[in-house]
Amino acid sequence: MKSLMIALIAALSTSMALAQAEAAAVSEASAQTLVTAKVNGMVCDFCARAVTKVFGKEDAVDSVHVDLDNGEIHVTLKAGSALSDERVASLVKKSGYDLVSIARDAV
Amino acid sequence: MNSIQTAGALLAFGFALSAQSADARPVSYPSGWTVMQMNNGDASTLHVHYSPTFQDSIGLYSERNWENDWHFTGLQYNRLVKRWNSPNAQANLYFKAGAGQADPFGDGADVEAAGFIGIGADWETRRWFTSYEARAFDLGFTQDARQAARIGVAPYIGDYGDLHTWLMLQIENQPEAETPTTVTPLVRFFYDVQLLEIGYTPESEELMLNWIVRF
Repeated sequence: MKSLMIALIAALSTSMALAQAEAAAVSEASAQTLVTAKVNGMVCDFCARAVTKVFGKEDAVDSVHVDLDNGEIHVTLKAGSALSDERVASLVKKSGYDLVSIARDAV
Repeated sequence: MNSIQTAGALLAFGFALSAQSADARPVSYPSGWTVMQMNNGDASTLHVHYSPTFQDSIGLYSERNWENDWHFTGLQYNRLVKRWNSPNAQANLYFKAGAGQADPFGDGADVEAAGFIGIGADWETRRWFTSYEARAFDLGFTQDARQAARIGVAPYIGDYGDLHTWLMLQIENQPEAETPTTVTPLVRFFYDVQLLEIGYTPESEELMLNWIVRF
């Protein structure tokens, strides 16, 4: 009887652990990432339209916001998508600006 | 009378053609198209270009010069030679060249091969703006040169997506023109992908009307 109880508890524990891991994986996959690229030279609204056009063409990008006050490009990625630092740097350059730094936050 | 004729000619030409001196940003983003239509009484120009990269653009340039009575049509290539980006400012140096044909209206001469070269430069912050452009034409039957400089100030600093307003002063020099040097106060508005400039040149009593759209 004692062995049966131990086996049952072990089975339940394993099952709960698996469920927790699965839930964490689902949560991770559905979380969005905010990529903030600080750039130099972005002083003109008319010209900064390039940023939304260039970043907007990327499959991984959900939305783009330009912050002229702080010289920042805020890019929200689609859930489960990724955009490497190298790609961000390349897109900033294609937009005509110089990359200063990249920060990433979960949304 | 001269200004009335000029205004009539501009209306007849509509917004189809445009003046060159506001052509300070002759390249766009990769795969971007730009239409520039400018009129200043002396000339009307149309420049439609495509940018394969943020450093190059190529397209059609057409100019109807009312002052000296000729019409140029051809291809124009623009190159961003150098861009300086800093935290609160940007400066650019451009090279421009065009090749095509020129039609000397009214004097019986034939259409001739023609071309031009030019340079442009600008520096701006969110508050201040300066630019300079020089261009020289060889039209076969005549030559033409011009240069223009601008200074501007934004009366307020708008956020991204707001209507932006600039107050500017343009000084233009065209040695062959009836009034070689003119000063034109103008106001520039831009919103989203549209840019509009309206100015007035007291020396020649001419209206400036420029429009740019990017897509």
